[in-house]
Amino acid sequence: MSRLDRTSLVAGLVTTLAGAVLLLDRLDVLNLRFDYALPLLIAAVGAILLVAGLEGPRDRQ
Amino acid sequence: MTATAQLRRDDHRGVIAGVAAGLARRVGVDPMIVRVGFIAASFAGGFGFALYLLGWALIPGEDGARAPVERIAGKRETWLLVGGMVLLALAAMLLLREWGLLFSDAIVWPVILTAAGGALIWRQSQEGSGPLSAGSDDALREARGSDPMALPRLTLPRDALGRAFVGAALVVGGGLVFLWLNDALRPARDVLLAVVVVVVALTLILAPWWLRLVRGLAAERTERIRSQERAEVAAHLHDSVLQTLALMQKRVDDPREVAALARRQERELRAWLNGRRAAGDATVVLALEAAAAEVEEAHGVTVEVVAVGDAPLDERALALVAAAREALVNAAKFAPGGPVALYAEVAPERIEVFVRDRGPGFDPAAVPDDRRGVRESIVGRMERHGGRALVHTVPGAGTEVELVMVR
Repeated sequence: MSRLDRTSLVAGLVTTLAGAVLLLDRLDVLNLRFDYALPLLIAAVGAILLVAGLEGPRDRQ
Repeated sequence: MTATAQLRRDDHRGVIAGVAAGLARRVGVDPMIVRVGFIAASFAGGFGFALYLLGWALIPGEDGARAPVERIAGKRETWLLVGGMVLLALAAMLLLREWGLLFSDAIVWPVILTAAGGALIWRQSQEGSGPLSAGSDDALREARGSDPMALPRLTLPRDALGRAFVGAALVVGGGLVFLWLNDALRPARDVLLAVVVVVVALTLILAPWWLRLVRGLAAERTERIRSQERAEVAAHLHDSVLQTLALMQKRVDDPREVAALARRQERELRAWLNGRRAAGDATVVLALEAAAAEVEEAHGVTVEVVAVGDAPLDERALALVAAAREALVNAAKFAPGGPVALYAEVAPERIEVFVRDRGPGFDPAAVPDDRRGVRESIVGRMERHGGRALVHTVPGAGTEVELVMVR
C-alpha cells in the first residue's frame, strides 16, 4: 500500500483554494487585489515547501 | 594532479581551521606568511577576517571532507523547511502591513531572520531520535566507556551541529538586528565593545594551548581505541586459532579429526572476518549452550548447562559468552574427565555466569606472563566491555570463574 504523499495533498488543496479564490473574484464575490494576492501566493508556496520539508525524503522503492 | 595542487584546508598544520596553511601549501610558501597576511588584512575593515571565514566555509578539508557550506546545504529537506517558514513569515508580514497593523523594517527583517533560524534549529530537534539514541552498540559502548551505568552522551553529528549553529546564529542575529534598528543597543555598545576586546585577547592568548589540548585528547582517544581493538583481535585469535592448533597437535594421530578441526576453524575465522554471527546464537542462553556444545565436541568433556532467564545477544553479551567459552575450554583442558558446570542467570539489570570444575585448581599468581587465556580472554575482555571476571581457585579444590556483565 502506497504511503500518503502529504506534499501532493497540500499542493492540491492549495491549488484548489487558489482556484476557488480566483473564481470568487471572477464572480465579483471577492475583490482580489495584488496587495492581497501576493501574500497569499507567497503563503501558498511557503506552506507547500514547509510540508515538503517536514515530509523528509521519499522512500526509494 | 598531485595532492599539493588541490586547494584544501590543512587541518594538521593549521592553527585555527587550516585555511592559511592550506593556501600556503597550495601556493608553496610558508604558512606564517599567509597568516600574517590574513592578520594584516583584518585591520583593513575586518577584510582578512571575513576572507578567512569565507575560506573556511568554502574550502574542503583533508581526506575528502566536504566544505562546511556543502555539508550544511547537503540536506534538501532542511532548506525546504527554512524556505517555507521564511515565505510564510513574509506573507504574514505583507498582509499585516496591508491591513495597517504593522510594520516597519525594524520588525520585518528580524522576524524573517528569526523564523529561518528557528526553523533550522527546530529541524535538528526533530532529527534527535537518530544520533541521541546512540543506535549502534558500538556507539553505546563508546559512550559508556569504563562506566557501564553511564548514559550515552547526547551529541549531534557534525552536519547537524553545523546546521543548528547556523540556526542559532540567525536567531541571535535577528534579535540583535531588532535591537540595533530600534536603537536599543546604544547604551550597551561601550560595554559590548569592551567584552569583545577582552574575549578576542583571551582567545588569541589561550587558543594555542586549547588547540594543543584538543589534539592531544583526540590522539589519546585514537590510541586507546586502537589498543582495545588490538586486545580484542588477540583475545579472539587466542580463543579460536591457538586453541584449535593446540587441539590439532594433541590429535595428530587422527588425520580426519585434524582435517575436521581445521575446516571448522576455517569456517569460524571466515565468519569472524566477514562480521557474521552464527544463526542459532540469537540469545544469551542459546549462545552459551552453543559454546558448551562446541567445547564438549572438541574436548570430549561433559558440560552441564543451567540457565535462568534469557535476553537478546548484544555486543556486551557476546563478550560475556566468549569469556565463558574460554573458561569452559580451560576447565576442559585442565580438569579432564570430570563434568564442567555452567550456571547462567540473566536478569534485566545484569548477566551472571559461573563456570565450575572439580579439577586440581591452580595458583593464579603462578601463571606465566605470556599465557593470555585468563588474563586477556577472560578478565581483560570482560573489563573492556564494562564487566568483571573473578577466578576463585585453590590448588586441589577446583576452580570457579565468575563473570558479571551489567546490561
